[in-house]
Amino acid sequence: MIERIKSALERCGVAMWRINETVEETAELFFVKRQLDTRRSKDVRKYDVTVFRDVEDPEGGKPARGFTSVRLIASMDDARLDEELKGAYYAARFAANPYFDLPDPVQAPMAQKTGELAEAPLARSAGRMVKALFAPDTHQDAFVNSAELFVSRSSHHILSSEGTDAAYVDARVNGEFVVQCREPEDVELHGAFEYDQLDEQALSDKVAEALSFVRDRARAQKALASGKYDLVLSGNAVAEVLSYYVSRSSASSVYARYSTWKQGEDVQGETTGERLSLTLRATVPYSMEGIPMADLPVLENGRLNAYHGPNRFCRYLNVKPTGFYEKFSCGNGSVPFETLKKAPCLWAVTFSDFQMDAMSGHFSGEIRLAYLIEDGKTIPITGGSVNGSILEAQKDLTFSAERYLTAQYDGPYAVRMKGISIAGPGE
Amino acid sequence: MFPSIDRAKPGLQKLVAALRETYPYASVLAVADDARTWRVSRTGANISASGTGGGTGFVVRVLDGAGCAEYSFNEFSEERIPGICAVIAKRLTEQNQALEGIAPLPAPIPADEPAALKKTTAWKLNPRELGDEAVVGKITAIREKALAVDERVLDAQAAVSYRAYRKLFLSERRDLDQTVMWTNAMVSVMASRGQEIKMSYRPFSVLGGAELLDEMDAGVERVARDALELLDSRPIPPGEYDCVCDPATTGMIVHEAFGHGVEMDMFVKDRALARSYINEYVASPLVTMHDGSAVDESATMFFDDEGTLTGDTVIIDQGVLKRGMCDALSAARLGVAPTGNGRRESYERKAYTRMTNTYFQGGRSTPEEMIASIENGFLLETPSSGMEDPKNWGIQCMVTTAREIRNGKLTGRLYSPIVLTGYVPDLLKSVSMMSENVRLSGSGHCGKGYKEWVKVSDGGPYMKARIRLG
Repeated sequence: MIERIKSALERCGVAMWRINETVEETAELFFVKRQLDTRRSKDVRKYDVTVFRDVEDPEGGKPARGFTSVRLIASMDDARLDEELKGAYYAARFAANPYFDLPDPVQAPMAQKTGELAEAPLARSAGRMVKALFAPDTHQDAFVNSAELFVSRSSHHILSSEGTDAAYVDARVNGEFVVQCREPEDVELHGAFEYDQLDEQALSDKVAEALSFVRDRARAQKALASGKYDLVLSGNAVAEVLSYYVSRSSASSVYARYSTWKQGEDVQGETTGERLSLTLRATVPYSMEGIPMADLPVLENGRLNAYHGPNRFCRYLNVKPTGFYEKFSCGNGSVPFETLKKAPCLWAVTFSDFQMDAMSGHFSGEIRLAYLIEDGKTIPITGGSVNGSILEAQKDLTFSAERYLTAQYDGPYAVRMKGISIAGPGE
Repeated sequence: MFPSIDRAKPGLQKLVAALRETYPYASVLAVADDARTWRVSRTGANISASGTGGGTGFVVRVLDGAGCAEYSFNEFSEERIPGICAVIAKRLTEQNQALEGIAPLPAPIPADEPAALKKTTAWKLNPRELGDEAVVGKITAIREKALAVDERVLDAQAAVSYRAYRKLFLSERRDLDQTVMWTNAMVSVMASRGQEIKMSYRPFSVLGGAELLDEMDAGVERVARDALELLDSRPIPPGEYDCVCDPATTGMIVHEAFGHGVEMDMFVKDRALARSYINEYVASPLVTMHDGSAVDESATMFFDDEGTLTGDTVIIDQGVLKRGMCDALSAARLGVAPTGNGRRESYERKAYTRMTNTYFQGGRSTPEEMIASIENGFLLETPSSGMEDPKNWGIQCMVTTAREIRNGKLTGRLYSPIVLTGYVPDLLKSVSMMSENVRLSGSGHCGKGYKEWVKVSDGGPYMKARIRLG
């Protein structure tokens, strides 16, 4: 198929192009309680082709460069391939942007992934992870209500007119589950997971923790009064808050002037708490543009170390293209979690949905379970909402020494912030 | 459109027949897809026909002794039929062995009542025929109009997306064929105050084609002025207030706060509080709620992804919860009729119970009467996100703007961003006024939990209710 696409590109007069071939196989399992609801599997092969076209500057300057992407599949005959590619090449004229060089060529043999997840039959890996998921589900009061599990293996092949020919294999297991506790209140909590190895223990631990939290939510009170609180966030919410810095340091944000951050600049401002250090982590050998990926320190002690992003925007900013990252780590954290939440605070454990708006710096979410810690007591709370601004909160952040690891984040388990606005249902 | 479906159909019928030799039920859904997005912003112009639709491919469903199983693929010919049957059999054997000891959830064999249909939605102008040059030219002009409003406008984005798809559903006794086209558009404007960027947007949607572009021009200056106004917004004092919801905010409440809770696959899982409230008052008598294809919007279709014909489902009738919406597999397990709500993100994904066009019916009041009736409250506009809580009917919805109302008048003061919380029936029972005109918006996609994005629309009238804001 790749040779057919190359021939079609030549027939259509397309001189600059990139082909991304993706082949994916999955095993997918769906459960209601511990009963098997549905089994699914898939075999798909896709070809995403990006064509580039230069549009001459009538005043003799550098040409503008446009590009368009189309998806092709093997069942298309040659006439259809030509039609799709001609249409894309024509459209590229009207998506003309300031000139940029295409990514430098890379030639590399298929980068294989090792480990059981990459090598074992998908059905067997799925079976093992399902057993790990249900392993802590041994009690009557709190239990797994439902679960979904996806095991996938994919190969990615990137070719370009500039000479790039690189490929790698990836394997993932991800999914979600809902835990339920019926007494004294009938409540549930949602959990999600993603691993790049067959990490059965991590999944069992995650489910066990969720079962513990849902028991507490069942006896939680709707008693939180509105006001300002010292707020402790943990787990995925920490990653969500810190994603503000990843977004603001991206080359596309800077180029669009959504971010005014400059390399070397103190972007955290005056602080009395910890100075932030973040590193973008390479999870695949090559970006979809064929850029070799490597770990990239992006924030060091609150200062911006580097911009990051796809080829075009990095070229515009005259920095080395880094590719798009899906994971970051945070090097902060020295205070034991028990110490972090010892002084009066609200530890918000789970939300219905917790979101950071990187444009405004506001983060918010409705509280499903929190612990109000004051006067030596820990009271489970439910209801109410957090509405904070990282622009204020970043002045005084304290992170836990305990770590939290997901497919997108590797960093402190918890962060403490001062004076965050909470709207509560209580008096 | 989509002649590849016609070419594949005889082979797909043979595939269903071959699978029926082994399994008591077999069906196939074939999808042919054409999608395109045009976008202009400060980052440049972008045209993409890759990854914006659901994709072209096939999904087979069979029922065996262990229940329901599906196989998705995107390469098909008659010669491949024995191979596809063999792969399905092999995968099921392997998976069943790996899950030894785990019991299946009973899955009744579908009735597979006979049905045949071939229908197409209407459109005036196919965006692909209008052409890339015209579309990009139009949205570039709209963007420039927004930028010209004030020098504090940091950026404006204008985008148009369209999807045309043809779906063919075949089982032993069903032969359903539909072609649908929708077009969406969006204008967003950003204005900055130091490191903080405020954004306002307006969506547009139609079950149709490029005729939507004519609507975009009219609202663009208002979007820019809204973004500038937000620069002077302040955090809201948390509390419970009398509120007027604009139709978009009403739609978010319909969809997020209540709609997800009456998706009946949640009944199967014992995850929906609504199951205990059938034929009970859950809302004010002013509230009547619909879901389905009785209206023309982005989620309108003639049959769903499991081959169930669609219609109009009345969920709440004058405050009383009458029924939920249901996919075919859940309906068989619950012993009820499916409502045509079995939908997939794409041929690559599982079908779940999903909303389509979901809305509250209109009433008799006017927005002006609602504002005049409020001593201390807010007009809520421009929803930004929401999350369901079917088990506990907790509300989490966010809106961009709350306009202050004092003594029956808008004061001009703005608060942003706003989080709506509370208990769904409390909010719905507090509804005291509904406006006459109903407006739906189908520019968004809806997730099930945190994934499985499908095209939906929602809306309603202006609605007065008491809501906790923070």
